Amino acid sequence: MQLPLPSRVKSHGSDNPPNAFLAIDSTAIMKFFENKFTYDYSFPAVSLAYFLRYPNPYSRHVLTTDVIDRYIDPETQRLHTIRLLLKKSKVPAGILKLLPKGMGGSDSSGQSYILETTVVDPHEGWMETESRNMEWTGILSVVEKQRYQRLDSGNESRVLEGLSMEQKAEQTTVRTTVTFKSRLGQGKLLGRKKADNAEGEDEAPKRGFFSSLSTAGIQRTIELIGVSRTRDAVLKSKEGMNVVLERLRSGGIVGVLEAMRRDREALGLDGPLKRVLLQGNAHTFRDDDDK
Amino acid sequence: MAASIAPECNDIKEKYDTCFLKWYSEKYLRGNTKSNDCDELFGKYKSCLHKALKDKGIDGMLDDARKSSSETDAEFLKKS
Repeated sequence: MQLPLPSRVKSHGSDNPPNAFLAIDSTAIMKFFENKFTYDYSFPAVSLAYFLRYPNPYSRHVLTTDVIDRYIDPETQRLHTIRLLLKKSKVPAGILKLLPKGMGGSDSSGQSYILETTVVDPHEGWMETESRNMEWTGILSVVEKQRYQRLDSGNESRVLEGLSMEQKAEQTTVRTTVTFKSRLGQGKLLGRKKADNAEGEDEAPKRGFFSSLSTAGIQRTIELIGVSRTRDAVLKSKEGMNVVLERLRSGGIVGVLEAMRRDREALGLDGPLKRVLLQGNAHTFRDDDDK
Repeated sequence: MAASIAPECNDIKEKYDTCFLKWYSEKYLRGNTKSNDCDELFGKYKSCLHKALKDKGIDGMLDDARKSSSETDAEFLKKS
């Protein structure tokens, strides 16, 4: 990814501050977010938790997950997984307003599809993941990449101290990067908007509002919302992973699955969600904020 | 586990997910990467799912997304 001389725009005060960089060129806005974190769990546990993480109390916006494809590469023995996630739309209202109808989520229902690809190498102890939005990618493409890596350091000295294998502190690091690419600066959005209007949509007031916005204004909106939303989302998914890891440690896979069932019952999801999905429409969830 | 996007596939998905988690944690992550305990269940789940994706008209969008995903992979590998 080519980032021409990125300048630091924001640093958030916390123990583990994410770095945000911004680079603007004439063709697209690219925004880059990075965060590193260490789990106090072994790589197998973290990797299992990753596939097991939905639903958890921090993931109420994830409605469905499906495995589209999964195979082991015969040469490398790495496990490749491709999943389709349906989430409540994360597109903020301020941006939704700017987008052509139907582009903020499937059928404007406040939902969006995410493609998640994962590669695991159990021998080398790493896992790489990538999540990307599948719709309105010409307008705004958000790609999150993670690399989980087994951290072996310290084992030797601990063994020398006479500690048993069970007590060795296994850790797994994860590096998360999020890239935003927007083509709002290219006039593409204006073109789409006009095309929509030509189809007979009654969008006159919106068009007026829209054409009065400067490209810089739109860029600023996306920057501000993008960085804070991404930081929140990354922190939240970390919390979710920790809940699942703790459940794994205390109850194994069965413990995780039972806790999921309890969560669902507590949230009443077995009732309304099932009904809504069976009807093939989830409009009920549009106003259910998941802050 | 989370529900399937296609409610009619939920039962087979649950069976497959359970099989996968057991295989993944007890075999694959322990180095037994040759086994394929869940292939039959996955085949059934996949055919149920693919039919549903086609009916919902998501299959084309999915193919496009998978294509751009492998394109960024190529970009990524080239760089490093």
